[in-house]
Amino acid sequence: MKRSRFPFYMTIAILVFFYLPIVIVFTQSFNASRFGGTWKGFTFDWYFKLFSDKNIWHAFSNTLIIAFSSTAVSVVLGTLSAFALYKYKTKLQITHNILVYLPLVMPDILMGISLLLFFVSLKLELGLFTILLAHITFSISYVAMVVLGRFQDFDYSIFEAALDLGATWWTAVKKIMIPYLMPGIAAGGLLAFTLSLDDFVITFFVSGPDSTTLPLYIYSMMRHGSPSVINALSVIMVLFTFVVVFISKKLLEVKE
Amino acid sequence: MKKVLLAAAAAALSLLIISCGSKKNELHVYNWADYMNPAVIEKFEKEYNCKVVMNYFDSNEALYAKLKAGASGYDILFPTSYMSKLMFEQKMIQPIDHSKLKNLKNIDTKFIQKGLDPEMKYSVPYMMTFTGIAYNTKKVKNFRASWSMFDRADLAGRMTLLNDLREVIGAALKFNGYEYNSIDDKELETAMNTVIKWKKNIAKFDVDEAKRGLSSGEFFLIQVYNGDALQLISENPDLAFATPAEGTTLSQDDFVIPVTAKNTDLAYKFIDFMLNPENSKTNMEFVYYLSPNIPAQKLMSEEFLTDPAINPPKAVLDKSDFLKDLGENNSKYSVTWDKIKSSN
Repeated sequence: MKRSRFPFYMTIAILVFFYLPIVIVFTQSFNASRFGGTWKGFTFDWYFKLFSDKNIWHAFSNTLIIAFSSTAVSVVLGTLSAFALYKYKTKLQITHNILVYLPLVMPDILMGISLLLFFVSLKLELGLFTILLAHITFSISYVAMVVLGRFQDFDYSIFEAALDLGATWWTAVKKIMIPYLMPGIAAGGLLAFTLSLDDFVITFFVSGPDSTTLPLYIYSMMRHGSPSVINALSVIMVLFTFVVVFISKKLLEVKE
Repeated sequence: MKKVLLAAAAAALSLLIISCGSKKNELHVYNWADYMNPAVIEKFEKEYNCKVVMNYFDSNEALYAKLKAGASGYDILFPTSYMSKLMFEQKMIQPIDHSKLKNLKNIDTKFIQKGLDPEMKYSVPYMMTFTGIAYNTKKVKNFRASWSMFDRADLAGRMTLLNDLREVIGAALKFNGYEYNSIDDKELETAMNTVIKWKKNIAKFDVDEAKRGLSSGEFFLIQVYNGDALQLISENPDLAFATPAEGTTLSQDDFVIPVTAKNTDLAYKFIDFMLNPENSKTNMEFVYYLSPNIPAQKLMSEEFLTDPAINPPKAVLDKSDFLKDLGENNSKYSVTWDKIKSSN
């Protein structure tokens, strides 16, 4: 039977669809033209402009603070939540499952507005802390779902065997469960990190004075700023994400 | 595992401390990005020994939604005048105390007469904007500064109109000798027929694609806001901008103070500082818009003042108007717009 070429073309088409926009942004960031309509020659101008804009750096540092801390917290809480969902099958856990699932399907705008109303009614001052809480809220679900996927294949009898052989519960968790779950935890963490890094809608609503993050700044630049600076910024962020993914992959390889 | 937990707790705690830090003598400004000269802000910080914290929003509607839901902590906002009006009607912003603004006398009262807040009850104008036509001088022969350009069959398929019902129907009203903000059914019908005629000549109703298209040579003539036109012209010398002789739409961005402002005194000082002619000039040179500030305009170069994309000719200005909220008559426009969109 002749093998169909269709999957091959489909793969190519999807790859092009995914990566061509990034390639275009990458080349446009070196285009001397402000709008990227036509090629006006090669330039590093946008990068110089970018590096000399202290507002952008301030927004960038806010973004990183939020992304790192929300990832750290949601990885812990998300993993615990996945463990509970895996281990216990009670009515309460069904509710738990739904609650964890909900943020994945809820529209961002709804979540943004309701979190804002919630914070306002608690009289919490809007700022980095409220953004952090919001990001943890949606990140937990992603981490929990990814880790839960990993749990599905986890053979609990190994864990029980460790306990039978005299390991304390904590040692068994440390030596058996966590190493086994690590790829899931890392993937969930990365997902949480990138989601936090580029979230706009929810962040917009829960941000307060002096907590502008990079996505907020980029959107606001659309009216008066130059799109080319935004392109340069996007390139740096894509490279940054690649580096983070690369490093975490390397770290995982060493562990295994 | 323990370490991760500890790190997470430490991160959360440090954020809590940061966000509860001291807020003395800070001014929180909610503005569009790149819409005020950083040098002027630094000067203000030095003169009043305070810290200005800039925050950014990306559309009037988003700003409104956020504040309406109860977000607070901002001392000055920069909405467009139609939004200032709505926010004032809903008691979201404070009346302006004229005694606290010594430089308010600099404002061009004749210009703001046309606006939505002619007595500056709740807003102080920052920059003015308007709509017009940007075109490619190499491709468009016999250009006339008139909305009648959209009748030109030789440019068919190479022109665009804004995707905004008030702007487009309004332009057609002006073209027929009527007023923007007209609610007369007959006048609206005439305007509708004009737009339907124009629709045969234009490629589409659009904003962003139109700008890119004009820049790359796909489109020859587009209806566009002056700020966008300036950015386009600065990079392509073949492009030019004109305001139609029949008249066009005006708009302005305002300084307003929300009712939840914590540092109202400093907010007034900030507004007054920005109305100072020297500072207003520095801002105009940075954002390339005209501020309705008479002494500041006198400091501007001839080149700046005669640029049609910054300052429309006086004759056109006199015939132009602000778009006003028409209340329940707004639906007349949406009905007309639907008919236009569905016509062939």
